Amino acid sequence: MAARTCWSCGGIVAAADAICPACGKVQPPPKAGTQLDKFAVLGLAPSFEEPAGLDDRFRTLSRKLHPDRFARASPQERRHSLEQTTVLNDAYKTVKDPVRRAEHLLALRGIKGDPKMSPEFLEQTMEDREKLVEAKMSGQPLDALAAAVREKRDRTLAAVRDLVENAGDLAQAAELVARMRYYARYLDEVEGRSVEL
Amino acid sequence: MPTLFQISEPGESHTKEACTTAAVGIDLGTTNSLIAIVLGDGKPHALAVDEGNTLLPSVVHYGEGGGPGSVVVGRGARRLAAEFPRDTIVSVKRFMGRSSADPETRRLSPYRFAEGESGVVRFVVDGGRVVNPVEVSAEVLRALRTRAEERLGLKVHQAVITVPAYFDDAQRQATKEAGRLAGLDVLRLLNEPTAAALAYGLDKRSRGTFAVYDLGGGTFDISILQLQDGVFEVKAVGGDSALGGDDFDRALAETLLDGQERSPRKVREAIDAAKQAKEDLTRVESTEALGKRITRAQLEAAIRPLIEKTGGPSRRALRDAGVPDGKGLDGVILVGGSTRVPAVRRYVRELFGMEPLADIDPDEVVALGAAVQADLLTSESPQHDVLLLDVTPLSLGLETMGGLAEKLILRNTTIPARATQEFTTFADGQTGMDIHVVQGERELVQDNRSLAKFTLSGIPPLPAGLARVAVTFQVDADGILSVTAREQLTGVSQTVTIKPSHGLTDEEIERMLLASIEHAEQDVQARLLIDNRVEAQRILKAAEKQLEANGDLLSPEERQQIETQMAALRQAAQGTDHNVIHAQIEKLDHVSADFAKRVMDRGIERVLKGHSVGEFDQGELSPHAKKAYEALRED
Repeated sequence: MAARTCWSCGGIVAAADAICPACGKVQPPPKAGTQLDKFAVLGLAPSFEEPAGLDDRFRTLSRKLHPDRFARASPQERRHSLEQTTVLNDAYKTVKDPVRRAEHLLALRGIKGDPKMSPEFLEQTMEDREKLVEAKMSGQPLDALAAAVREKRDRTLAAVRDLVENAGDLAQAAELVARMRYYARYLDEVEGRSVEL
Repeated sequence: MPTLFQISEPGESHTKEACTTAAVGIDLGTTNSLIAIVLGDGKPHALAVDEGNTLLPSVVHYGEGGGPGSVVVGRGARRLAAEFPRDTIVSVKRFMGRSSADPETRRLSPYRFAEGESGVVRFVVDGGRVVNPVEVSAEVLRALRTRAEERLGLKVHQAVITVPAYFDDAQRQATKEAGRLAGLDVLRLLNEPTAAALAYGLDKRSRGTFAVYDLGGGTFDISILQLQDGVFEVKAVGGDSALGGDDFDRALAETLLDGQERSPRKVREAIDAAKQAKEDLTRVESTEALGKRITRAQLEAAIRPLIEKTGGPSRRALRDAGVPDGKGLDGVILVGGSTRVPAVRRYVRELFGMEPLADIDPDEVVALGAAVQADLLTSESPQHDVLLLDVTPLSLGLETMGGLAEKLILRNTTIPARATQEFTTFADGQTGMDIHVVQGERELVQDNRSLAKFTLSGIPPLPAGLARVAVTFQVDADGILSVTAREQLTGVSQTVTIKPSHGLTDEEIERMLLASIEHAEQDVQARLLIDNRVEAQRILKAAEKQLEANGDLLSPEERQQIETQMAALRQAAQGTDHNVIHAQIEKLDHVSADFAKRVMDRGIERVLKGHSVGEFDQGELSPHAKKAYEALRED
């Protein structure tokens, strides 16, 4: 990603920087559609694990960029602040969540889109789901079902990590990440039961 | 001749206007409203605005004549409520952003409703005058504003107004509208529980995770917040926008009215007596209401089911925030007058497993927090250097095939937030797409709240599945949503800011916005011209490219026809009439439709030949592409 010039003072601003280092003005976010390193938005290096100090970085940047800080600024700066905070919130959400983080890591390496799932996996998912529905209908406790899926999720996560960190087959990693999305949805559904809206 | 001494630094020459305007915090409550301001001591203070009290009952009486003096707000209005039940609007907040068909509006209430064409709640008051909830709320706000101005000797222009965290988009818009009608510049809509935490966070300088349990007159809110490094982060919110102390009064009134006739007047009297009894019973074990003896145990039996309704949303919010069952929670803050009821405190203690905090008056805490936020937003050197990060209370989504709701922004997403999703056309030659925006957690559209419907037109007629429309949701720092739909090929786009589907009627909005309309008309004309010119350029460019790459698919006559039409469009694009350009675009679309289809068929054929069939996700294929796919498989 190329550096840009500040709209206010004309100084050089790195693509990932939200604030001009020279004059302190908020910059517009990168154009929609450009590949954005969400780790870099937070000033962090890409990593499979949650980066140390993530929450601190998010709070520090929020304090600098949030629209509440620009209530008295020019309309242009207010707009940039809103856009930058939107980008920041999205980056934080992505980097904070293990599945989204893994997906983004792969996207940064050029692996994008929905991978094709194996029929065996889809069949297994259907079975898990049927069991869940049955258990719900008959009012059985769901703890054992949830524990089994949680274990699968953790095992898958470890496998993805291995592939990503040891330069393994990234396409395979993408499929495993997609599996984790299924597991996450399943667990959401299990937990959604314990409390009625 | 100017001398050196007359030259001053820029800005210095105009002495700063003395502090003649003030930014305030307003708690626009169901039962009572308050106004507060941060004074020179750096602390927020609630102002006495009604007969020496800080609480202004949110009651508006519309008296005879309709003149300027005929509207009474506050205690004066409340005293008139029993005598003029239909001309005195109480708890109007319950009706904000709601339609007259809502079950909520048909509950025990003495009002006359006007038959509305647009489903808007409108009250018929004295002499047949008709007012809507936004106008009634604006009267409350205007009373707060003018009385505060008298007390302060300052003009009040800017305000932070609080809303229940669980308020949906229509309710938020209605509240903002009321502020504008009352002559206020609404700096921010702030969630009530967040405001309360802000008021608490000041003295405590603490870090940790807190629950705010807010049971007011008409709404219940639960919020889980984390305070750290001067940032208040809302982790989860939940609640019930139709549950509160008023329901306690109604439940007890039902007991009092048992077997009696129910005239509007009797109902009003019973509700007032129940309210008084409920308040008395926070101090004593038994009291009298309408000549009946009522014990605390009786009250608690009547309201127990209502109190327990707060349990579900509370547990859900705790789980969403990652502190299931309240383990890891550092405190529970009580907000709202209804938390004075001993049975409520007992329930909170059971629910969270700890003694709740109530150091700051639960009636004032929200307004005090709002004043702090107003100060933060307007002062050059705010008294309290903190930042609030709020979340969306409900998921926002779109209707997709089969009446399903597809969520784009999930509940409890930190705002501002944005999300984009692409949709494709499902019929050949489809030129419009209906966009239906919904809010809520349910799978089916019909179970969620409908926020807006609009149609994106001007999609180029292509085979099904090939035109792509990107729908973008942007939620701003007030939690208000705007939606943009954009066709990816031509860039045709349309944006709507969600306005209350059940708020003001169109005539009312028109009346208020009359001045700006002429401008808007010009803007629309200019934009249409630009849009159509851009569209013409893109289509011409695409056509040139296709003629070059796939011209062999055409007979010489067909090619001639297309080229003639391209020249006509080029000519039209030089002109200034967007209708003419648009008509020529459509003509070109028409004469080249068959060509486009042949090009697509060729493209699909190539793609399918170049790849293994397994790489295709069939769910992504349009029926048209599927047909091509099936044909190839048979070969």
